[in-house]
Amino acid sequence: MTCEELRDLYELYALGVLEAEDRAEIDAHLTRGCANCKQGLAAALALNAVIMSIGPAEAPSKKLRHRLLASIGYERPGWFWTGALTAALMLALAVWLGTQERERSNQLAEAREQLMQVTGERDNLNQAVRFLSDPETRPTSFGRGQQAPPRGYVFLHPQLGVMLIASNLPAAGTGKTYEMWVIPKGGSPRPAGLFQSDGMRGLHILSGPIDLDALDAIAVTVEPLAGSAAPTTMPVITAPVGT
Amino acid sequence: MRLVKLIPAVFFYAFLQVALRRDDDADLIRRLKAHEPKAMADLYRRCGRLAYSVILRVVRNVGVAEDLTQETFLRIWNRVGSFEAERGALTPWVLAVARNRAIDHVRSQDGRLEASSVDLERLERPGLFMDLESRAMTIDRARRVKVALEKLNANQRTVIELAYYEGMSHTEMAERLKQPLGTVKTWMRTALQILRSELREAAIA
Repeated sequence: MTCEELRDLYELYALGVLEAEDRAEIDAHLTRGCANCKQGLAAALALNAVIMSIGPAEAPSKKLRHRLLASIGYERPGWFWTGALTAALMLALAVWLGTQERERSNQLAEAREQLMQVTGERDNLNQAVRFLSDPETRPTSFGRGQQAPPRGYVFLHPQLGVMLIASNLPAAGTGKTYEMWVIPKGGSPRPAGLFQSDGMRGLHILSGPIDLDALDAIAVTVEPLAGSAAPTTMPVITAPVGT
Repeated sequence: MRLVKLIPAVFFYAFLQVALRRDDDADLIRRLKAHEPKAMADLYRRCGRLAYSVILRVVRNVGVAEDLTQETFLRIWNRVGSFEAERGALTPWVLAVARNRAIDHVRSQDGRLEASSVDLERLERPGLFMDLESRAMTIDRARRVKVALEKLNANQRTVIELAYYEGMSHTEMAERLKQPLGTVKTWMRTALQILRSELREAAIA
């Protein structure tokens, strides 16, 4: 066959769909270096490429690019970055949530402590007002005439109990607390509650009915934070109240 | 409404413009030959959608099309060594490899493998894609061929479709279409002459 007869077959040859006989003809021309056929084949390859490039355009998934580049070691597989990013985000979120939770807990504990302190102070003040306004309350002073001792008053009431107000009362010290004692006539001191001083003043109330006739004195000692069952130090305040 | 209809066409030609750039071919081929991984990313950006579109049109299965697209680019990566940077036409080569991988897959599914795999491999040799006309693939040519393709009659379009996307020979087409072999050959010859002529005129213009 001549080149002229083959010229309509180059595209089909390049597509690999030519019948064996025609294919062999073109092969023979190309093998002997036929310039016409070589040029015709080049033009056919160009036309084939153009025809294939004008079909409907479709987009592969983004994963394909990652997969391909990962297969030549350029990028890690998509799931790796997704997983790594997710893990990093989860870790950051956990750390942030942990910090937030800790801060929130601390703030909550602090607020609760302040509330309890305020509530306690409010209750003490209410109690103090009741003590001071009730005609049955009997005041007794202590510390008068002594050189820079704690001074103050003990208020006794048969139903309300005992209220102690002390000034010039230093802080009990680290790991220590003040403990009030009720000392009955002819008996041993009984624990009457723990309290702290703000460095200047101390207020403590033992609520509940008390037999004033059997009472000999009110005392205060410095004790360990948990308190003691019996005084372990010398009293810093002694207020005789016996009638 | 007319403007809305134009949007797909605008995207099509913008996308094709990227794929058909020839200026950077030589540099890209050199980098591919040096096995620079970034070059593979660039090649995929340029030809990935085109190759995938051709393959999908043949195999009609997204998963298979993606596998074959990957195979196509790895084949290019492994065989680019003998591709001459200054003379080679990269996009036609990629498209030929993509289409042949897809046809080979379909033939193997149909039991039509025979010696076709060897033939198709022979037609992907880098040497064949040297010295293609320097402006073989331009936007203007693509546009004119597309218009010409749309103007072909139904029979002519069918035989083009069967040859390019189903890999059928004249004889197989005649059997499929239940037409005399001569008739099918005439349809094919006429269709290719019209398209060839359009491409030639675009080159002269």
